Amino acid sequence: MTARRETLLLFAPGLALLALGFLLPILRMLMLSVVGPDGITAVHFARFFQDSYYPSILWRTVRLSLIITVLTAAIGFPLAYIMSRVGLRLRLWLVVMVILPLMTSVVVRTFGWMVLLGRSGPIASTLRDHGLVGRGFSLMHTETAIVLGMVQVLLPFMVLTLLGSLARLDPRLEEAARTMGCSFLQSFRHVVLPLSLPGLVAGSLLVFTLSASSFVTPSLLGGARIEVLAASIYKSVTQTLDWNFAAAQAVILFAGVALVLIPYLRLTARHG
Amino acid sequence: MSDLSLSQIHKSFGRTEVLHGIDLDIRSGEFVSLLGASGCGKTTLLRIIAGLETVTRGTVRIGGRDVTGLPPEHRDIAMMFQSYALLPHLSAFENVRFPLRMRRRGSRAEQAERVERALETVRLADLGHRRPSQLSGGQQQRVALARAIVSNPQILLLDEPLSNLDARLREEMQVELIEIHRRLGLTTIFVTHDQDEALSLSDRVVLMNAGRVEQQGSPREIYAAPATSFASSFLGSANLLPVTVGPGPVARLADGQQLAIPAGQATPGERLLVLRQEDVEMLPAEKAGDLKARVAIRVYLGARHRYMLDLAGQRISVMAANSLLLEPGEEVALKVGRILLLAR
Amino acid sequence: MVRAVPAWLRGLAWAFVVLAGLFLLGPLAVVVGVSVSENQFIAFPPEGFTLRWYEKALGTREYVEAFWLSLRLAVVVTVTATLIGGAAAIALSRGRQAGAMETVFLSPLLIPTIIFAIGMLMLWSSTFGPTSFATLWLAHTVVTLPYVIRTTLAVLAEADPFLEEAARTMGAGRLRCLWHVVLPQCRPGLIAGAFFAFNISFDEAVLSLFLRSPGHNTLPVQIYGQLEFSPDPTVAAVSTLMILLTIALIMILDRLLGLNRFAKA
Repeated sequence: MTARRETLLLFAPGLALLALGFLLPILRMLMLSVVGPDGITAVHFARFFQDSYYPSILWRTVRLSLIITVLTAAIGFPLAYIMSRVGLRLRLWLVVMVILPLMTSVVVRTFGWMVLLGRSGPIASTLRDHGLVGRGFSLMHTETAIVLGMVQVLLPFMVLTLLGSLARLDPRLEEAARTMGCSFLQSFRHVVLPLSLPGLVAGSLLVFTLSASSFVTPSLLGGARIEVLAASIYKSVTQTLDWNFAAAQAVILFAGVALVLIPYLRLTARHG
Repeated sequence: MSDLSLSQIHKSFGRTEVLHGIDLDIRSGEFVSLLGASGCGKTTLLRIIAGLETVTRGTVRIGGRDVTGLPPEHRDIAMMFQSYALLPHLSAFENVRFPLRMRRRGSRAEQAERVERALETVRLADLGHRRPSQLSGGQQQRVALARAIVSNPQILLLDEPLSNLDARLREEMQVELIEIHRRLGLTTIFVTHDQDEALSLSDRVVLMNAGRVEQQGSPREIYAAPATSFASSFLGSANLLPVTVGPGPVARLADGQQLAIPAGQATPGERLLVLRQEDVEMLPAEKAGDLKARVAIRVYLGARHRYMLDLAGQRISVMAANSLLLEPGEEVALKVGRILLLAR
Repeated sequence: MVRAVPAWLRGLAWAFVVLAGLFLLGPLAVVVGVSVSENQFIAFPPEGFTLRWYEKALGTREYVEAFWLSLRLAVVVTVTATLIGGAAAIALSRGRQAGAMETVFLSPLLIPTIIFAIGMLMLWSSTFGPTSFATLWLAHTVVTLPYVIRTTLAVLAEADPFLEEAARTMGAGRLRCLWHVVLPQCRPGLIAGAFFAFNISFDEAVLSLFLRSPGHNTLPVQIYGQLEFSPDPTVAAVSTLMILLTIALIMILDRLLGLNRFAKA
């Protein structure tokens, strides 16, 4: 057996799996989004933009995803930096603190937020006890609830991505900056931030993509009234059974994500 | 007036103390080497002077001012790192300008002028626009040096700056460092584990061992008169032989051979005989020498030979001209030039 | 490490870490709290202590069946993904055009799961009819594959590239070389990949929701259904058991490979 043959043989099962289990389904979905009773049509897309209902869902999805991405970066960056600069033992515990929620089912984590934000949860009852809110107050089924829950769900992705790039950053560079007159915060701004920018961008894109396409947390915490695009797709698939329209919505979601991803992939490809 | 004064510097990491009370004064304009093996505490001491490490006990004074508790940015120092620590996202020019920018020295135009001058000093004037990744190792090293001298610091700290260069470049840079030091007159502290570097560059060598200053003095002093066996073995390739001195001005080796010694060193007792390679001359066995030895191994070095000799149950290393060619197993006579005895 | 970080900033950093920990782990702790509360309704802080919700959960047919389904699924997915992904990773580590191939194999990470989920549903229904266990098996294997490939590739990237050639000069044939040299090198990567595959498959909700067949719910889907309609402390008990499983997985992973490896990366 030649080396080439062996390599091909090792690739074969994986390629077959991806072709049948990944490529074909995506193609099928793309096809369904453009076929109607009379052949190729754009009617499903037209329906999406017919009135303001679906565009408003799209806009909410984008808006919430942006807020979630910014908050995740704002919390994740300092956390990852601290993790990259503490001793190995403490770092280990912090890694566990980050991956334990990551490895726990999204459904379970969202349940935790439902308890925390619900009418009989600790937040509402504390506010109520201080007379700040009325009896019926609950944070559930609000955009705030979605943002809170999603930031917690996606924070580990951001932290781990950033940790990868921060851990590779030579601490001598910061020390050198200090001997050249930087205060701690200045060395952070002039050295750490610019050099970890690729990691920050990668983490943000990952979080944005996951956020825009997630639906378990938004639909449980946001309820039926505050719909996001992914939840709307789920509804089209399971309730109204309009698969063509579901496919069209998925394509719109995908296009939105690609719009963000492609410039980034090009940029990173250019800079190696 | 001393530029830097360290008194009773103690430093512990966890429960291990790595510096045991270092005292050191450095005059303005002096070039001082901290010499020692890795782990002796020399780099920790340099980082304490820079403010990158805190002291456990002791005081650091720069220009008479107590800076012990001050962070690095509030000390008038510049440091050059072993890895150069150039900021990869900035050009060479911006790297050199960085300390001026951070310390707010002068206007933009003045800064640019000083950067140009510093780059000229290290002969890199036309490469300022390049990123560190586009420079060779030697060029990166020059940028790091320019960055260290550009702010005209009260103290220049160099942490093994030449160790990443190949032998030829290293010699070139040594000469350049001497020149720059003569021209700018910066008070310089140079950390190295390379004795040749320390001897050839500095006004004063501070030899460190296990967190203490073992000996300090001018390169000549410290080479010619090592105070301890550690100092003698660390500086120059010396052969150390245990001997018994006395009675009379005579040292007896382990195999019974006797060596006449100067009367001034003839205090009876157990001693270590220091035989530097260059102080021992090899002669054919039939000639009269001070000691007899036997050839074990001969190594050809081009300009001369190195011989490993068996003497009094020990291996010693001696250089010889190519004109003398002896085979392993042959006897050889040794003529000893300078004799130095240390406490055992 | 940079010393001379101002004291106030150190204090702030500590406070920040504690708050971040509360934020990350709080929701999990709350679920555990509810699961042992005597309160009939879902409320926090818990009142009293009882294990009866666990008793009730373990006596509920839907949960038990969902658990076995999830377990069976996770096991077969782990085995297939590890085999296929391991082979692909070995091939990738040798390939000359590894870059493009790697992108192909990692592409399921780039495409949002929901898009893949509906594609799968549409393709399966039009070719095979109603979805089944096999649909989930296929779909989960596709999404877990990149994880196995990534962990294995990472290990192989650190390996000595000449080991294989060295083995060949010592008389090992191709297959024996694969078995005695390459596979042992992959081992930590394969183990880590298998753990992630198991964990992802067991916890996955989106694919399972789209591809579920009536009466056959995985555990996360079962929990999701309960949360949508009538959450009671029994769900909390089941969720707590899932958290405990995750903790157990992390501990086993630490025992087998050492989490240091991940902390250093």
